[in-house]
Amino acid sequence: MLLILIRRELLANLMTFRFLVAMVGTLLLVVVNTVVLIDDYERRLTSYNTATQQHSEEVSSASTYSSLEIHLDRSPNPLSIFNAGLDRRLGNSISFSHILVPTHWDTESHSADNPFLNLFSSVDLILIFQVILSLLALLFAHDAIAGEREAGTLRLTMANSVSRSVILLAKYISAMACLMLPVIMSLLLVLILFSISGSILLSGDDWLRIGGILLISIIYLSAFYLIGLLISVITRRAATALMLSMVIWSTLVLIYPSLSVFAVNRLWDTSSQLESAYREIEQIWEAFERDRMGFLRNDEIEGEDLNANIRYGGTVGTFHTSNPTTLMYSKVETRSIGIKPEAEPLMPHVKAYFQFTEPRRIRAAERTWQVRQKALDQVHVRKANMAKNLMRFSPAAMYDFATEAWAGTDFHGIEDFITAVQQYRQTIIDYFYDKAAFSSRQWFAKDQGKVDWSDLPQFSYHRADVSIGAKHASGDIACLLLINIVLFMMTFLIFLRQEV
Amino acid sequence: MWHITKRELYNNLNSLRFALTTVLLLGLMVTNAVRHIREHPKRVQKYHNAVTESMNRLTAIAETGLYSLAQRGPGILYKKPSPLHFCAEGEEPLLPDRVDTFYNRNGRRFWRLAYPDANINMTNVGPDVSQIDWTFIIGYILSLIALIFTFDAISSEREHGTLRLTLANAIPRHTVLIGKFLGALISTTIPFMLAALVNLLILSSASVVHLNTQAWGRIGIIFCIALLYTCLFLALGLLVSARVQRSAVSLVILLLTWVTFVVFMPSTLAALASSFSSSMAYYEYEERYGQSHTELRKTWRISWRESKDEEVLRIRGEWHTEMAAGEERLRGEYLTFKVAQVQRARAITSISPAALLQHLLEAFAGTGLDRHQQFIENVQRYAREYREFVVDVDRGDPESLHIMGVREGLSQKPVNPEAVPKFEDTLNIGKDFNTAATELLLLSLFVVVLLAGAYLAFVRVEI
Repeated sequence: MLLILIRRELLANLMTFRFLVAMVGTLLLVVVNTVVLIDDYERRLTSYNTATQQHSEEVSSASTYSSLEIHLDRSPNPLSIFNAGLDRRLGNSISFSHILVPTHWDTESHSADNPFLNLFSSVDLILIFQVILSLLALLFAHDAIAGEREAGTLRLTMANSVSRSVILLAKYISAMACLMLPVIMSLLLVLILFSISGSILLSGDDWLRIGGILLISIIYLSAFYLIGLLISVITRRAATALMLSMVIWSTLVLIYPSLSVFAVNRLWDTSSQLESAYREIEQIWEAFERDRMGFLRNDEIEGEDLNANIRYGGTVGTFHTSNPTTLMYSKVETRSIGIKPEAEPLMPHVKAYFQFTEPRRIRAAERTWQVRQKALDQVHVRKANMAKNLMRFSPAAMYDFATEAWAGTDFHGIEDFITAVQQYRQTIIDYFYDKAAFSSRQWFAKDQGKVDWSDLPQFSYHRADVSIGAKHASGDIACLLLINIVLFMMTFLIFLRQEV
Repeated sequence: MWHITKRELYNNLNSLRFALTTVLLLGLMVTNAVRHIREHPKRVQKYHNAVTESMNRLTAIAETGLYSLAQRGPGILYKKPSPLHFCAEGEEPLLPDRVDTFYNRNGRRFWRLAYPDANINMTNVGPDVSQIDWTFIIGYILSLIALIFTFDAISSEREHGTLRLTLANAIPRHTVLIGKFLGALISTTIPFMLAALVNLLILSSASVVHLNTQAWGRIGIIFCIALLYTCLFLALGLLVSARVQRSAVSLVILLLTWVTFVVFMPSTLAALASSFSSSMAYYEYEERYGQSHTELRKTWRISWRESKDEEVLRIRGEWHTEMAAGEERLRGEYLTFKVAQVQRARAITSISPAALLQHLLEAFAGTGLDRHQQFIENVQRYAREYREFVVDVDRGDPESLHIMGVREGLSQKPVNPEAVPKFEDTLNIGKDFNTAATELLLLSLFVVVLLAGAYLAFVRVEI
């Protein structure tokens, strides 16, 4: 009996003109946007490639150890075509040196593109699914029960000895089958376009990720279908069901996300936390400065200015950066200088000076980073997380977050890159220690030729495993599933007890 | 006709959709007002503080003499926040709110305008959502409401057979159509008017927001644009409803059209357009900058060597003024290039009525890109005025050598700080009308075409 009902429902849905229109419309939108998105991805990739090349040339041009500053670039994620997430929005270039540990908040953009173009909002495939599929699900569901009740066919069906649960189940299964059709077809079209473009290379991991996105899409679709079904069961007339569905749709998909961000922005003020962190950082550097001055006072070089005694041309970078809003604070002392012939006897002292100060400077930089990281995360990440949590009352937002996590374009995905950069900085520091760079003449002097950078450790970064993304998405997926089950139970119970 | 309008109106007023839309719009408009009341005073305060600081600095400089006035320039110039921020603010956080003036004290280089780039917020790791302003409420919600009021206007009456009944009375078809159109227009306008009036009531009763006559005039224009925009979607709804046999199909078609044109078209088209036209890249700009710099330096060096002592001063002065002017010109060109690329993309998005509405609302609310360009023009005009002022003061001093660009060549007399021109950013409604005229006409054209389409479809259709 179930099969007969499913077949009837399937045919009734598939043969309609509205299904055809919906299908063609969705596919058209998906194709056009995919073409645009692939083009955008290719441009970002080119910009990334030029930037990396430029930056790797810069590294080998540093003539002393102390003047080494490394710029690293984050490659665009091909799955950002599905869900752009933070991949496009956040900075994709980061720089560090031995006296600065980079954080998430120090990134910049490659300067190749026009920043004013960000005036236009960006689209991704998940947004299309999020908006259109939910709309279609509601359109299919609103008259599923209410329409049949009005037309009297529901009574007719029940006159045969069919249980109500079977009717409901048949309706659900067949509608889901119909709705999955546009999803699967658009995914296939997207993959075809990927292979035509040739610039997007998907690894085995990426296929799993796409599979995950498909799964979440289906769960999301089902949630909206069940919302529509519940409305359809509750209301007496199909027209009323439609109105209610439309209002609920526009609230959940369009309005609620904006409202929750607005509410969080209103409630959240975090200027005082930064102030205390900034004071703490200042103290760290004051302590360092005391140590340094103490050393200079006790050593045998006259005066406290090293440069005046030994410098013979070249560049010196001794400056102090501080910014209370980004908590950026460091005392830079880099040199790439020639040495006066008469200063030659002083060299052991200068080497001793750097051997004394630089490890301390690095320690101060690392402690600064710990304070900074904590304070800035408090301000920026917690606020974002609060907004996200509040948004989670809308299935549309949950869908967005879950797919973002699967695609690896969420905050965790970007953070992985920063962590890799921080680890790379640590290997560079270890490399300095191995080479005894701080006590070497090439730390500050360029007169004996450039440093040989050929054995500098290389940076490599691979996106985190798909299982990590799945783990981050699991909460949202579980929530979506729960919504599904609760809605189905409610619909079922109400439908069972209802007069027809 | 009035009969039909009245009947439609009563029908709509009693329906669930009317109640739901009223609640929805009211909620959104109240949120919008609350947000504006909270944020606007902060913006205005920030602007006033910044301007006062800038003014104090200028006065301090003027007291130290004409040369420092000429060399250091007027300081940072700020964009005045629009009181109608609540109407359209989508782009505003991205656009810089000032123009910097750079000068180099040690090199004795002269000041020049420097235009900041769009400020992309890299610290926002939260979800990216649209702001609840009038553009959102009208562009997204009101247009959806208009479609919901009209999708079954003709097709459901045809399904029920009441249309045939109506036409059996000797009523011409166009009268029926116009009646339906007016009925739907009035019944969508009522909730919107109500919500907008509540919004304005909250805003004007709050003591922190001051709306002057010009602002009220602008709100009136925005109201008219909103009506025009609603008409567009009503006409679209009637057109599809007249063509399609069943209202379920009509709804699917309308919603898909709505999603395409309102939600996706603006960004998709913009991305497409900006990928076709490339702007000047930053390194290109740097290259050109370096080139002009070295050229100037070369000519200057030659004339420096060839000249005698008394001419050195003049040449040095020329070098400083030329450098500043050249750099400012290049910076200006770079900005123009970038903005032109965005403008081209914006022009193409005008196919989408939602993008049109956004541009129009921004133009009349005094926010967005057009306003930013107006601000840049104001700044450039002021920069000219300022430089002329320095020349005039110098000319007024008979002891001065009248050589711009060097301390020794300029008047040494004290300058009256009151006389130094002050920058004040202004909004000009006439200019806004000019920039918006094309878009206004385009929107009207869309409405007329769709209305004509609906009329033709309805007249020719079999019932």
